Amino acid sequence: MIRPLALLSVALLLACGGDSGKNVLTVYSPHGKDLLQHYELAFERTDSTVDVQWVDMGSQEVLDRLRAEAANPQADVWFGAPAEIFERAAKEGLLEPHRPTWAASVPDEARDPQDLWYGTYLTPEVIAYNSDAVTDAEAPKDWDDVLDPKWRDRIIIRDPIASGTMRAIFGAIIARELARTGSTRAGYDWLLRLDANTKEYTLNPTILFQKLGRQEGAVTLYNMPDMAMLQVRTKMPVKWVVPTSGTPVLVEGIAIVKGARHPELAKRFYEFVTTSEALRAAANDFLRIPARTDVPADSLPAWIREAKETMKTMAVDRQLLADSLDVWMRYWDANIRNRGKRS
Amino acid sequence: MHTPNKTPRKTLRFPVPVIDPIAGSRGPSAIRSLQSRTLLLAAPVIAILAWTVVYPNISVIVGSLADGARAWKEFFASPADREAVVSTLIVSVGSVIAATLIGVPLAFLLARFEFRGRRTLSAIATLPAALPPLVGVVAFMFLYGESGVVTRIVQHALGLERAPWSLTGLWAIVFVHAYTMYVYVFLFVSAGLERIDTTLDEAAEGLGASRAVRLRRVTLPLLTPSIGGAMLLVFMSALGSFSAPYVFGGGIRVLSTQIVASKLNGNLGLAYVETTVLALAAIVGLVVLRRFERRRSYAMSGKGRQTRVVVTSPLARALLPALAIATVAVLLLPHAMVVLVSFARDGAWTTQVLPPEYTLDNFRRMATDPALWVPIRNSVTMALIATAANVVVCFVAAYLIVLRRFPGRRLLELLVAIPWAIPATAIAIGLASTFNRNDPLTLRVLLVGTFWILPLAYFIRGIPLVATAVEGSLKQMDPSLEDAAHGLGGSWLMAVRRVILPAARPGLIAGALLAAVTAVGEFVASIVLYTHANRPIAVEILAQLRSLAFGTAAAYSVLLIGLVLTITLLARWTEGRMARSGSPVGA
Repeated sequence: MIRPLALLSVALLLACGGDSGKNVLTVYSPHGKDLLQHYELAFERTDSTVDVQWVDMGSQEVLDRLRAEAANPQADVWFGAPAEIFERAAKEGLLEPHRPTWAASVPDEARDPQDLWYGTYLTPEVIAYNSDAVTDAEAPKDWDDVLDPKWRDRIIIRDPIASGTMRAIFGAIIARELARTGSTRAGYDWLLRLDANTKEYTLNPTILFQKLGRQEGAVTLYNMPDMAMLQVRTKMPVKWVVPTSGTPVLVEGIAIVKGARHPELAKRFYEFVTTSEALRAAANDFLRIPARTDVPADSLPAWIREAKETMKTMAVDRQLLADSLDVWMRYWDANIRNRGKRS
Repeated sequence: MHTPNKTPRKTLRFPVPVIDPIAGSRGPSAIRSLQSRTLLLAAPVIAILAWTVVYPNISVIVGSLADGARAWKEFFASPADREAVVSTLIVSVGSVIAATLIGVPLAFLLARFEFRGRRTLSAIATLPAALPPLVGVVAFMFLYGESGVVTRIVQHALGLERAPWSLTGLWAIVFVHAYTMYVYVFLFVSAGLERIDTTLDEAAEGLGASRAVRLRRVTLPLLTPSIGGAMLLVFMSALGSFSAPYVFGGGIRVLSTQIVASKLNGNLGLAYVETTVLALAAIVGLVVLRRFERRRSYAMSGKGRQTRVVVTSPLARALLPALAIATVAVLLLPHAMVVLVSFARDGAWTTQVLPPEYTLDNFRRMATDPALWVPIRNSVTMALIATAANVVVCFVAAYLIVLRRFPGRRLLELLVAIPWAIPATAIAIGLASTFNRNDPLTLRVLLVGTFWILPLAYFIRGIPLVATAVEGSLKQMDPSLEDAAHGLGGSWLMAVRRVILPAARPGLIAGALLAAVTAVGEFVASIVLYTHANRPIAVEILAQLRSLAFGTAAAYSVLLIGLVLTITLLARWTEGRMARSGSPVGA
């Protein structure tokens, strides 16, 4: 019995030894380890008394966490999530206003009128496919093409409940049909036909990419930066098309958490990751398209310039999405998921 | 009058050395002091369990009613939730059947027969428990998934156009559960068999009982507490299991994933309702099984004596080692797969059967990552703290439940079993909603966002593991042994040290081992509650998965498996040392 006690006291000593006495800045972000570690180290180089601690999770999960921690906020900065999710957080009073120095350099749709969040990156949604399994000629060109019966059981997508990207695509489709027919019925029918073609809803991006790469599915709907990253980092045979009729372009944002423990430090980090240079680095190293319009185009990689020229943006009523998306997604989950093949 | 054991005990058909409890052998004052000591012990244990286990769940139930009955109405009207309830029950019952069918025969085989390959097989039979849930599920996907290694080998061998099966749906979840959860059955039944005196079986044989009769009349009745306890654990784990449905769950809903979906959808009320329903279903299952378990109770006095039958029939001599080798291979495949992927170059493996390119990069990247040792240190520290607390609290709880009679015993019994029934996600949500502020009036302490929230979560999850294992051991001790110690003039403390602790030891070590192993690889509660300062190794693996570094994630998993094996070996070594320096009664 003596030995376990000794082990335990050693463990306790270890546990208590972690406090370095630095100013700890906590960042919640879905942007992934590579990008976050890059900014962590760079920011710490500017001030040796700061210890940046990031917590990597999906953007819907960040919102969920902020809600749970509202009485005792743990995070200082929320770095990254589609604007729709930031708008929900703003509505629920989870964010602290901050007006960045470059506030004038983003279009109106990439900022909150009360300065509660600002856009950092633009994320276009695309149709992607395994180029070993599907030729460029037969690949779908537009949203409606993925409903073709020839794709039956060949589509694999993220589970839309957890994925900000899929929520944005589903929301855009329902909103488009709502504008066209005046009812959500047509949008739900569209998703029901997609469900009939969908082989599987994967619960995280990695499994989706693995299954796409290994031809368990041929076609997916996802966002352009992640697909570009996949291509560059893993050499998987993936290609994508920007849907010809237009695609929703997500604005990814940044915000300061209400009740942040280190508001001044949070503001400095906020500015630090959104300078022109920082955005350029993000574009080159992490394939992110900057939301700021004053980043010189010739300093950006070719694929971004190309994408910006050829891409048609699908206009989306964000207020409508902020009000209705949760309801639509709940309806989808209860009445459409796995129902397409039965009808 | 105080009677040490109210449960009517059946008498076996064969002569068994059951010592009848001698009521009234102690003076009234001794009984009073024992009774007050019992209450003195029970009060703090019940208080701790009520505060950490029950209180957060009450917050959840209160939360489900925050909006009147709206969330409940929504739950009963939703076809998705109805589907989830049915699937959850199918998965749980299927997992119990599958795990029992694998675990019981394997335990018998290893405990009762001597054959070539037995040592190897018994050494690795518990390995599936060394595979952290998330890692195990992913390993299964790479093995038996549609593009998995085994699947593709079968496909090529049969010359099929498409994969012969796909690892989706309810049976995929049951398949994974059978692999990971049979270990509970195996461990419990093995521990039970260890305490059974094989001379009893020989005596029955001498009296002319056939093998089948001996199994039915002697061995199985003695094992009922162990088998029942293990089935209970499997049922609870399957009910609350998250990782397998999470990964294979594209096509199916079960309640645990439905809770997360509702919460993510911003419908916290519905999530609370689903949590409550799941917890209630589990508690009903718990009560039913407990009752069944109580109906049969036999006691053995002294430690079991073991002899193994050397297999002599030539057919069995040839078949058993082959069977052992095949079992070993199946058990080791997922681990091998994780190791293989840890050496595979990310993204290079597409339509081939096996990864075509191998590299040391994954381990190199891991070794050069400055943050590498932090999650490992965190996990080990938190697992140690939680397990130490489990050992103390659960030993006392199990002692009270099995050997003492007092008001509130049933309550205590329920309290220690509840945490397994309640899914880790729900435990986490309950903790997050309860310990999110300092408020002495409502007994709230701010733990969310601090280091201590995860050790607390691990402690709660470990309670049923350690308590059930210790109970199993103590049930096989004749309660009159403690009375005998008192009757011979030993102090209460001495009786604990010389009689009860030795009797509890196999269960204590098996339970602590399971709790530590579970804590060190814990994923589901961790992902909800961790902060940067205490992030455990499973969260680090998820971060790697998120950043597409599957190979690095596998490398971390290899490290985690190594860690779990180290804990196991450490526990065995401790057990060996303790057994050698054992006390006279236990020997």
